[in-house]
Amino acid sequence: MRGKFFAAWVIVVLGICAQGLSSPAEAGISLEKCTLCHGKPEFRKILVDGQIRDLFATEDSLKGSVHEKKACVDCHFDVSEIPHRQRPKRVACTHCHYKGNAEGAPQSDAYLEYFGSVHGVAIAKGNTKAPLCQDCHGSHNIRKAKDPASAVSHGNVAETCGRCHIKIYAKYKTSIHGVAVSKGIVDAPSCTGCHGEHKIYGHLDPKSSVYATHVAEQCSTCHGSVTIMSKFGIETEQVATYKNSFHGVAGQFGSRTVANCASCHGVHDIRPPEDPLSMVNPKNVPATCGKCHPGANPNFAVGKMHVDSHKKESGIIYYTALFFKYLTIATMLALIVHIFLDMYGRTRRLRGEK
Amino acid sequence: MSEKSRGPVYVERMSILFRIQHLLLMISLLVLAITGFALMYYENALAQVLIRLEGGVLYRGIIHRSAAVFLMAQLVYHAFYMLISREGKRELKEIWLTRRDFDDFLQAMRYNLGMGNEYPRFGKYGYKEKFQYWGATAGVFLISVTGMILWAETFSMRFLPKFVLDLTLIIHGYQGLLIFVILLFWHLYIVHLHPSVFPMNWAWLTGKVDAEWIREEHPLEYEKLKGEGVL
Repeated sequence: MRGKFFAAWVIVVLGICAQGLSSPAEAGISLEKCTLCHGKPEFRKILVDGQIRDLFATEDSLKGSVHEKKACVDCHFDVSEIPHRQRPKRVACTHCHYKGNAEGAPQSDAYLEYFGSVHGVAIAKGNTKAPLCQDCHGSHNIRKAKDPASAVSHGNVAETCGRCHIKIYAKYKTSIHGVAVSKGIVDAPSCTGCHGEHKIYGHLDPKSSVYATHVAEQCSTCHGSVTIMSKFGIETEQVATYKNSFHGVAGQFGSRTVANCASCHGVHDIRPPEDPLSMVNPKNVPATCGKCHPGANPNFAVGKMHVDSHKKESGIIYYTALFFKYLTIATMLALIVHIFLDMYGRTRRLRGEK
Repeated sequence: MSEKSRGPVYVERMSILFRIQHLLLMISLLVLAITGFALMYYENALAQVLIRLEGGVLYRGIIHRSAAVFLMAQLVYHAFYMLISREGKRELKEIWLTRRDFDDFLQAMRYNLGMGNEYPRFGKYGYKEKFQYWGATAGVFLISVTGMILWAETFSMRFLPKFVLDLTLIIHGYQGLLIFVILLFWHLYIVHLHPSVFPMNWAWLTGKVDAEWIREEHPLEYEKLKGEGVL
């Protein structure tokens, strides 16, 4: 009994020692060794195409990031000797970030959606310009999305996307949503608010949240919410009136050619109707409607756009609908009364004859 | 020889041409009602099934407008037929609205309410048939007008502001509903539920009616036919 216990104890101790011996060997390359070269600000490489690749990295590079406590080789794990002979491979975030990882890295499968996204598919097809994790999240300075300094924070994500999508960013920045975001209004949507985060698809992909038949639903997540819209004094009835309109009904039954919110209000360049540059400014309405209705004239702007015939504010439309409603009911009643009277008269007539 | 011993005698009430016109009218009105109300009440589960059956909103629209063109063509044909052909002229004279029909209507109402002693005596078409004929004709004409305004929306808006189009859409829908209500509570009554014809007046298929029925319901026509020696 005692012998067995001793044997077990020896094994445990040996195990601990072995771990203690092995860890300094694995993390053999310390930060100091890396910064021997990478710590020099002028340490850079001129690429074949003439671009300069900055290779400067010090202990400050990771400061404040989520990987603050990591060492260089934790990510650049293919570097086993200093100086490394080959260029280290691009860091694969999935090395740690997967569900059930031993590192204790945040466990989420959200990033898996990236592989099916327009960016992930482009990468898989060999498009070197398509973004990997670090292109949006940053390489050394990775911060949580909630951190305002993060490249993917609410306030910064548009600029991050805009590094590649320059023209769209320019339009968005001056739009009502872009301006609101730059003012720090958290309810206003940035790129990811409409397009999603990891699962971004092209707008022609039926899976996309901004696919023609999904646009109305996407906009109404905020514009249908009284809680959000009341903060800005914006009506939420636009969602219902669109849904009941000719365009809205056709959209609900799968028409892709019919106008959705974005067809009239714009996509990235949405502006308030008072803005002379807005697509729904009365002056621009003929041109906007004219995209689908060739020859649209200023008559298209005469009258309320989002009409609800059940609301008094709709004026003549409300009263006409009301008139016809009662006319129909009255006609129906009159005809029923006529039927009963006629039958009653006939019965009397037949009795009289008999 | 008494008439009753001879068994029922049948008289033609609808010629084959009118029966065909009636059948086509019935088909196009039914198609228009099904496709139209499916859109008007699109939130209804049955309407959604119908729209899908009709091939989605695009094909629903194409079917609706095809049926509408067909109906308008019938209206034009019917107008010419009634004005030009010998049979049409004769029928038009029979169904033409006169002061007498309104008097007949009031007299019938008085009688039905127990305030009059005599029920009016009708010719081939009584006020019930005449009101229905002219009501349906006017209804089809008016709904065609609003329908065409909506169909050619861009052209219409050269002359009409947007809110008039919104109004037209509402009116078009209610016009359809009114025509439907009239067909349901007027036509259905006089040719199906009326005790003298229940379950239906077969004239729309056979073209013929019992002379006895004419004698009871359209006595003036009966006397006229007697005078002409048809009976």
